[in-house]
Amino acid sequence: MGELELRVAVRGQRSVAAHQYHRGALRVLRPHYLDDSGQVCYVVVNPGGAYLGADLFLLDVEVADSASLLLTTQSATKVYRTPGSFAEQRMNLRLGEGARLELMPDQLIAYREASYRQHTHITVRPSSSLVMAEVVTPGWSPDGAAFRYEEVRLRNSIRVEGPDGNRLLALDNLLIRPPAGDVTGMGFMEGFSHVGSLLVVDPRVDQALADDLNALAPDHGARTGISLTRTVSGTTGLVLRALSNSTGELNNLLAACTSLLRKRWHRQEPLNLRKH
Amino acid sequence: MPVPRRSQSSQARIGALAPVGPSRGPPRRGPISLASLALLTLGAASVSGYQLALQQLGDSALPTGAFAHSLGFETYVDAGVVRDEASFGVWLSAFIFQSLTYSDGLAIRFFYEGVDLGELDALLSASLLPRQVREASVKMGLRLLEIGAEVFPSPELELYRDLVTTGRAAGHQPLAFAVVARSLGVPLPEALAAYLFATVTSLTQNAVRAIPLGQNAGQRLLRQAADGVAAAVERIPHLTPDDFGAVTPGLEISQMRHERQRARMFMS
Repeated sequence: MGELELRVAVRGQRSVAAHQYHRGALRVLRPHYLDDSGQVCYVVVNPGGAYLGADLFLLDVEVADSASLLLTTQSATKVYRTPGSFAEQRMNLRLGEGARLELMPDQLIAYREASYRQHTHITVRPSSSLVMAEVVTPGWSPDGAAFRYEEVRLRNSIRVEGPDGNRLLALDNLLIRPPAGDVTGMGFMEGFSHVGSLLVVDPRVDQALADDLNALAPDHGARTGISLTRTVSGTTGLVLRALSNSTGELNNLLAACTSLLRKRWHRQEPLNLRKH
Repeated sequence: MPVPRRSQSSQARIGALAPVGPSRGPPRRGPISLASLALLTLGAASVSGYQLALQQLGDSALPTGAFAHSLGFETYVDAGVVRDEASFGVWLSAFIFQSLTYSDGLAIRFFYEGVDLGELDALLSASLLPRQVREASVKMGLRLLEIGAEVFPSPELELYRDLVTTGRAAGHQPLAFAVVARSLGVPLPEALAAYLFATVTSLTQNAVRAIPLGQNAGQRLLRQAADGVAAAVERIPHLTPDDFGAVTPGLEISQMRHERQRARMFMS
C-alpha cells in the first residue's frame, strides 16, 4: 500500500512543492531542477520495489496555475504475481491555468500471473499543458515466454474544466488480457512485443503538430499511429500509439517526440534524467 | 442538461445503473409494449411487432453510408496483410471481439440500462481516439437519426436529435440505433445482435469490393462472423463500466494510420 500527495505551485521564479504527504510504500526523492526554466522535477520511488496482489497505490498530484512539474519514477514499475487479486494504482492529476505537467514514468513490467489496473484521472484547464508517455513491456516469466501475465489495464480519462463546464476530452483505455486469446497477432500486438503511448493535451495541439511528430516515427523501429482527439473548450489532445520489439526503441521514439515539444513550446533541451 | 462534474462521479453513476449480469428488457413504453410483444398475425405466420422494423434497420441497404468505411481494415489491405478470405476473417473477428464489443455494444447496453444519453455520447466521442473512426460513427449516426425520424419516430429519438442540433451531443451510430430499437420494444440481446451483424455485413461487403473477394467468400465470412457476433452478445452483459472503450494497440494504430494512407477507397 502507498499514498502520495503532491501540490506544486510557483514561488518566485521556480515551481516548488506547496504540499507534500506520503504514507506507506510511496515517496518522492528531494526535488531537483534540470535547467533554469523553473520546472521542478520529482522522482517517485517505491521502496518496496514492486506491486503485489491487493496492493493499492494512490497518487494525488496538483500543478497550480502557471507551475511546471516533471514527474518520473526511479525505476520500472514491476508487478509480481497477484493470485486471485490485482495490484492497482489510482492517480488523480489536476492542472491549473497555464500549468504544465510532464509525466514520464519508466516502463511497466507485469510478471507471470500478474494483474494490474492503472486508473489515471486528469483534469486540465483550457490553457494547461500535459505530456505523458508510457511503455508496457511483454512481461517476464521464468521460462522466458512473453505475455504470461493475466491482465494489464491502463485507463486514462482526461477532462477539461472550462467555460462550458467540466467535459470529457479523451478516454484512453488500453486493455491487454493474454488468457482471453492470442494477443500477439493481427489486430492485437501485430507480432510486436512492446506498446508505447504518448498523450499530449495543449491548446497548441493541431494537425500540423501531429504531422511533425509523425515525421519522426520512421527513424525508429516501431509501427506508429497518431491522431487528434476531439476539441473541448479550445484545447485538443494528441495520441501517439506505437508497437515495437524493445523498450529502447519506444523510449527513443517517445523521447524524440517530447524533445520536439520541449524545444518548440518551452525552448528547453531534451530530457536527460541520467537514471541508468 | 446536467454536466458530469468529475469522471469518478460519472463512473459511479454508470456503475450504479449498470449491474453486471444479464440485463432486463427494455422499458415498457412506446407504441409497442414488451408486455404484449405485439404479435401481429400475417396470414398463417406470426411476426413480432419489431421484427420487420429491425430487419429494415439492420439491412445493409439502409442508406447510412456504411459502404464508405473500412474502420481500419483498408490499412491492412494496403500493407498486404489482409489479402484474402482467411486474413480478412482474422481481422473481422478481432474487430468484433474488441471495438464492436467494448465500444458500440457496451454503449447500446448502457443506454438500455438507463445511463444518460448525453453522457454516453460524450463517452463515445472521447474514447474513439482515431479521428476517422470517431467521424465515421457520427456521420453514420446522423444519417440514422435522420432516417429514424422519418420511418420510426419516437419522443426518445426526438430528444437525441434535439441534443445533437443544440450541440450537446455528436450523434453516434450505436446510440442512434439503440434509441430507435428500444423505442420499438426490441429486447437488448436482439438489438445487439442486429446492430453487430449489420456492421459486420457492411464491412464484409466492403471487403468483397476492396480486396476483392468472391461473393460466396463473403457469405462464408458472414456465416463465420455470426458466431463471433453471438459470442459478443453473450459477453457484453458481463462487462464492467471500466471496460468501456477498451482497445487493442493494433486495431487502433491501423485506424490512425489510415489518415495518412495515399490511395484510399474508404473514408476510414
